[in-house]
Amino acid sequence: MGYSPLQRSAEPSQERAPQLRAMVTDDQASVVSKTSYHRYVPWMVIGVIVVLWWVVSALHIFPRLALPSPGRVTRDAYVIATTGYNGYSLLDNIGASVTRIAVGFVAAIIVGVPIGFGMASSKIVFNAVDPLLQFLRPIPPLAYIPVMVIWFGVGQLSKFVLIFVCTIPIIIINAMSGAKNVQETRIRVAQVFGADRRQLFRYVILPSALPEIFTGMRVAIGVAWTCLVAAEMIAAQTGLGAIILTAGNELRMGVVFVGIILIGVIGYLMELFIRTVEQRMIPWKGKA
Amino acid sequence: MIELHGVSKVFPAPNARSEPVMAVSKVDMTIEDGEFVTVVGPSGCGKTTILNMIAGFERPSQGDILLDGEPVLKPGPERAVVFQQPSLLPWMTVVDNIAFGLTLREGKRGVDRTRLDGTLETMGLKNFASHYPYQLSGGMQQRAAIARALITDPAILLMDEPFGALDAQTRSDMQRFLLLVWTELQHTVLFVTHDVEEAILLADRVLIMSPRPGRIAATIRITLARPRHWDMVMDRDFNDYKRKVMKVLRPQ
Repeated sequence: MGYSPLQRSAEPSQERAPQLRAMVTDDQASVVSKTSYHRYVPWMVIGVIVVLWWVVSALHIFPRLALPSPGRVTRDAYVIATTGYNGYSLLDNIGASVTRIAVGFVAAIIVGVPIGFGMASSKIVFNAVDPLLQFLRPIPPLAYIPVMVIWFGVGQLSKFVLIFVCTIPIIIINAMSGAKNVQETRIRVAQVFGADRRQLFRYVILPSALPEIFTGMRVAIGVAWTCLVAAEMIAAQTGLGAIILTAGNELRMGVVFVGIILIGVIGYLMELFIRTVEQRMIPWKGKA
Repeated sequence: MIELHGVSKVFPAPNARSEPVMAVSKVDMTIEDGEFVTVVGPSGCGKTTILNMIAGFERPSQGDILLDGEPVLKPGPERAVVFQQPSLLPWMTVVDNIAFGLTLREGKRGVDRTRLDGTLETMGLKNFASHYPYQLSGGMQQRAAIARALITDPAILLMDEPFGALDAQTRSDMQRFLLLVWTELQHTVLFVTHDVEEAILLADRVLIMSPRPGRIAATIRITLARPRHWDMVMDRDFNDYKRKVMKVLRPQ
């Protein structure tokens, strides 16, 4: 056999690497390049929105009370950042909200993922949990408030539990779906090599389910923030939701806007964090 | 040695309005140690079902399947399988995928690194050991899947249309590659395909299946010289075999 099929697989040797690197085109490189204009698109969108906002508020189309100007909101933000609000510093307020979200959300993952896996692997567990899950899902967070107060008091616990209850269905459903949708041949591969149940779970089912678990986490972190204001309606002294509620009652719309913007920004940062972890843990997502 | 005695497979009706389907009917066959057997037939003739039963993924409705005299009841590493899709685990690097069978058996530390390096070398994957499957071409992925199957020293290698999803050039390369590996290792192979030329080029013996219910319509022993070359497909002997196979597949 004059020609070996193996030779086709020969790839460029190390010495040629710099040459090859030079051949990578700009649009291929933009994935890593910091100079690509794609990176500025989000900032341009924000810029356009702020300008529009400024124009609309300067024209006094709406009463000043309803739509504070960007300058007013910036001043309010500065005041809150330097002197705090409700007698607590801005960092304390942010810290309070982030803590509530983090505790409720992490607890939902720790409890929800195993339940989802249990539902995927056992009909009994599925039939036991599914009705409860589907029953709880459509209930709005606000409806829980009286129950939470009476069961868990007006302290931190009731806020943790509210965020936990609102996010856990999403986590459970995604973990279950991820564990159920494992490709048949991948299970067969493990069976051929004599994998026991534990090995099958560790090497095939868990990694197969990770992409959907991450999707669930990304949806759930958003839902957690939407529950925050409800959670902080429970006699909260601190937190971004509490700021919004108090300022709203005092008709200080500038402060309300500061709270809204902060929730949006922090929620976005958390989403970016989960996305980064996701890319680290499952670089193969969507490619296999 | 693999033996099938009167093996039939009936799939239950998917709903009340349809009938159960007889996929495979009373198949007898024997595969000797070191033999390269191909099964050729139209799609839906039950050839994959036979392979799945030998692999242990499915149980025969009737009849027995024996490996060296022992009945086959479930999948096991002595019957390695290469699927039509490479089905490498996307969360593992190429080297971890190839070592998968060894890892399950001996734990991560028990894997023989020299053996692994040797396999990577033979399979032409040495420089791709720490790549992920999605970074490899289809042919390379399938080579890794073959390496994963062979590294556990199976008694038989079951291949289910392993080159069916590849382009013509890569498929031809892979056929030569498989023959090369087989010449060295002389392991037993059951190779399912719908490609008549592929079936003849690779095999010691071709089993031709008739469509539903799947039966073995004819067996043809291929006595072409080994090692086989790609240009053999143009020889007269080869075309005689091809005519014989086609005659069984298309009787008119």
